[in-house]
Amino acid sequence: MIKEFLKKFRKKSPWLLHYNAGSCNGCDIEILACLAPKYDLERLGVKNTGNPKQSDIFLVTGPVTKRSRERLIELYSQIPEPKVVVACGSCTSTGGVFRGMYNVEDGIDRYIPVDVYVGGCAPHPEQIIDGVAKALGILEQKTKEIEYPKKLMGEITEFEGQTDKTKMAGKI
Amino acid sequence: MSWLLTIFAPIIGGLLYGIERKLKARMQSRKGPPIIQPFYDLFKLTDKRPMILHSYHAFMGVMHFVAAWVALSVLFFGGDLLVAIFFHLLSTSLLIVAGYSAKSTYSRIGSTRELIAISALEPVLILTAIAFYLHTGSFEVSKIINSDSTFGASFIGFLALLVVLPGLLKKSPFDAAEAHQEIVGGAEIEFSGIFYEAVYTAKWLDMLFVFTLVFLFGGSNFVLGAVLAVLAFFAVLLVDNSTARVRYSDMVRIVYSVAFTLAAANIILGVMA
Repeated sequence: MIKEFLKKFRKKSPWLLHYNAGSCNGCDIEILACLAPKYDLERLGVKNTGNPKQSDIFLVTGPVTKRSRERLIELYSQIPEPKVVVACGSCTSTGGVFRGMYNVEDGIDRYIPVDVYVGGCAPHPEQIIDGVAKALGILEQKTKEIEYPKKLMGEITEFEGQTDKTKMAGKI
Repeated sequence: MSWLLTIFAPIIGGLLYGIERKLKARMQSRKGPPIIQPFYDLFKLTDKRPMILHSYHAFMGVMHFVAAWVALSVLFFGGDLLVAIFFHLLSTSLLIVAGYSAKSTYSRIGSTRELIAISALEPVLILTAIAFYLHTGSFEVSKIINSDSTFGASFIGFLALLVVLPGLLKKSPFDAAEAHQEIVGGAEIEFSGIFYEAVYTAKWLDMLFVFTLVFLFGGSNFVLGAVLAVLAFFAVLLVDNSTARVRYSDMVRIVYSVAFTLAAANIILGVMA
């Protein structure tokens, strides 16, 4: 019963972690516009924490450059469950205009499981808010089971109840 | 009454924090979260999967909260003002110890800055307590609230306390120790889930502690005390919204040259009068 009671509050105070995986800053500016006076996501309890250990929603922009993928996985595995991932923008969802280029990976879903894709280059603030709202619905359904990133360079193993990250990034 | 105040201190502090967030949003012409938003955050943090660095780090976080609560209860039970201030100092130092125990750069930078900050802020608090002693003849809070208002007599001391308030509440311009855009929370960065909850709640208790200190300036005139506390609350918010962060070294310089000087002058004037 207590569990059911606590579950209700997940969508009332979602804290955001915004990560730029090599984006052109277009999406980042739109995300900031969501937090600014006109749209004011804070009225829904959303707070931009910038700290993975205290976040619920992982908002990623950019087509994952090769340098940023280690950090992407590192940040993802530092967020305690329940957590949701929102891919914000065309690049993040599919690679966008950069798809197939030598220096990018096509979208974040090669590395981490994504819950909501928000299209557009750059997406409107309304679209981002809609995506976040959809993600909140998913967040409420999630369990506290550990979620793993997809395979990167080495095998993903478990060590003392936590994901062992030493082999994950491998050598780049 | 003191029991009730002490037990419900986190709830009062949470509401205060909620009001603060709302007012801050209104000052920026945003709509702002509901007033009970801090409690939503609290319940959500309980529901997260526990993740700790090591047990000592988590334990120090919880003790930080307990010490902050004890400091507040000393004030509410009418105990010694100096004891309350020392417990407040202890609570901050426990967070600093926790910050140093983590193998994390931001955590350690935050702890170092916090250490520098309290070396500047705490002397002013103690001088404020001495000013209370000079004008009421006692360090006991129960005697202070039964004697005449010390606001007129130690007006300069009140100004000094007003200058250090943003530092004690970790608000701009003196928020170098927390610096959310720069070192992502400093000493509290490695806490998560239910242990961050302790640190988060300790923040509300700190706020309540500081404004209770301001309230004491009213003495037996509770209306004056309440007015002073509310005015200080607004002043701190306004300053928080309209100033940029200063470097920690500049903060020490400003606090020592303005607040410490004012507080010391207040003591000298009190002795001479």
